[in-house]
Amino acid sequence: MGETAIQITAMNKFFGKFHALKNINLTVGKGERIVICGPSGSGKSTLIRCINRLEEHQDGSINVLGTELDDNVSHIDLIRREVGMVFQHFNLFPHLTVLENCTLAPILARKTARAEAEGTAMKYLERVHIPEQAMKFPGELSGGQQQRVAIARALCMKPEILLFDEPTSALDPEMISEVLDVMVSLAADGMTMVCVTHEMGFARQVADRVIFMDKGEVVEEGAPDDFFSAPKNDRTQKFLNQILSH
Amino acid sequence: MSVTTLPHDPTRKQAHRKRRLSRPIDMAFSALGIGLAALVLWRIFNWAVLNAVWISPDGTSKVCRGISGACWAVIDVRWRLILFGLFPFEEQWRSSLACLVIVIVAILSCLPRFWRAPRLAGLWIAGFVAFYVLMAGGIFGLTSVAPEKWGGLTLTVFIYAAGMLIGMPTAIGLALLRRSTMPVIAKITGLFIDGIRSLPLITILFTAALIMPFVLPPWLLGDKIWRVVIGFSLFFAAYEAENIRSGIQALPAGQEEAAKALGLTYWQRTTRIVLPQAFRNALPPTINQFVISFKETSLIVIIGFFDVMASGKAAFGTGDWSFAWVEVYVFVALIYFVFVFSLSRYGAYLERRLRVGQH
Ligand SMILES: Nc1ncnc2c1ncn2[C@@H]1O[C@H](COP(=O)(O)OP(=O)(O)OP(=O)(O)O)[C@@H](O)[C@H]1O
Ligand SMILES: [Mg+2]
Repeated sequence: MGETAIQITAMNKFFGKFHALKNINLTVGKGERIVICGPSGSGKSTLIRCINRLEEHQDGSINVLGTELDDNVSHIDLIRREVGMVFQHFNLFPHLTVLENCTLAPILARKTARAEAEGTAMKYLERVHIPEQAMKFPGELSGGQQQRVAIARALCMKPEILLFDEPTSALDPEMISEVLDVMVSLAADGMTMVCVTHEMGFARQVADRVIFMDKGEVVEEGAPDDFFSAPKNDRTQKFLNQILSH
Repeated sequence: MSVTTLPHDPTRKQAHRKRRLSRPIDMAFSALGIGLAALVLWRIFNWAVLNAVWISPDGTSKVCRGISGACWAVIDVRWRLILFGLFPFEEQWRSSLACLVIVIVAILSCLPRFWRAPRLAGLWIAGFVAFYVLMAGGIFGLTSVAPEKWGGLTLTVFIYAAGMLIGMPTAIGLALLRRSTMPVIAKITGLFIDGIRSLPLITILFTAALIMPFVLPPWLLGDKIWRVVIGFSLFFAAYEAENIRSGIQALPAGQEEAAKALGLTYWQRTTRIVLPQAFRNALPPTINQFVISFKETSLIVIIGFFDVMASGKAAFGTGDWSFAWVEVYVFVALIYFVFVFSLSRYGAYLERRLRVGQH
């Protein structure tokens, strides 16, 4: 493995008394593609939300691109600028046009000139195949189109790492592939990606490693071929049976 | 017919209509109602227009003796008192100009092309400076007029505009502080808002005008009119803060999270993502608050200010015109109506405009 992008060491996360993440150790190398799966409530979202401090962890350490994630606001801001995130429910800004959604953060957080930010935004909107929607509002787009805008919005910050939290779960079946295609092409470009998803076809195709979580713990991790054909843990086995029988 | 029939069942509707129209007694009642309404309107028209006296050539109430219609002559003779209060007679052009300045600035700031913080700020600062110079005088060869002499519609418009202008940013500040992640700040702000809301406006105005002089050191006191404006804007802000907070609360958590994930700072998130959407959500109750506040300006009479309502009372208060109080109140009501109704219609326009692109 080359350089380290994310290093999580002995990390624990509590919601009040509830122990949501238990002793997580995870290293993600630059350019690596990780798929996280597991049953509902197992802590997948919580884990990736800890990486950009949408959730605060209580002990252990998280180091992103060499910066320690602690209470120092400038560390948090630095990490957030370098880590993009795509949400299950898109979370586009409804009062801004598609183009404004894409240029807002580069202009404000990266101090990019407007013209340059708009150029970059159009480039990424083309990349996700919807440049013609740039002047529309998010409410005028289909779910699949909105999610592709959300990916373009994240890319406009030129992040080192992209986090995906079930990006296709809220989509109608016929729109899932248009989003997955974009993600596959990002993977091909060498983007460091951490994806929570139940799209096992995607996991097989692009993942370097698959991580299985249950009850706040990392139960098993391995290369997709080993993981799918010869899961070692009973819980993994059971989960895969459920998922693949659908 | 069975009890389970739906209300929009066509047969039932038809039956209902048939029943309502076919019975002679119902038709008689309808005719009676329409007839009565027509009669009332006719009598109002007679009183207000046909039999009314419009002007008084000699400036006294003699022309109205023995007439059966409205005596609008009282407005003809006393309109300056109603609009300008006790402002010195020869200087009243200044008061009317000052009032006009504020109204024009208010109208301009309703136009979308002025919706930029620097433009709005420049507009209102220029507006208030012009207002103050015109009203107070003392420079540019204008004789100086003490604020106690300001009055009438000009005073109402001034107190209202200044109150809203200070009140709105205060409301935003209070709403944000009440949502602070620091529990102490959120608690204290909550107590402050609830405290102000629990007091009648009269008490607040009274405190600002009459009690503050005992409490504050003289150099901090300022003129009574400013203390009243501050009291008025605090009262407005306490209510409006809650409107804005409800607008913020209505936003999905994902909005703030997406903004955080993009690396935007607290202020960037607040000014670009949270507040613009919160305003949209809070628009109907906000317009409501603006309308209520306009009417509440009439309470400043309690601490010795002659707003348009009070100077209206003065207009028929002197013996000569005391019979013409209805006419004066109708005139004052009309003034209020023009302002408040325009405000409501503007609110409706804003709602339509801001919905564009949001489905
Ligand atoms: N803000 C919160 N406060 C309290 N408990 C929470 C909070 N967020 C999540 N949890 C709890 O933490 C656990 C992990 O939640 P998380 O959302 O990470 O699960 P998940 O694996 O993403 O599930 P899903 O597949 O349904 O999205 C759950 O038991 C959940 O109830
Ligand atoms: Mg989740």
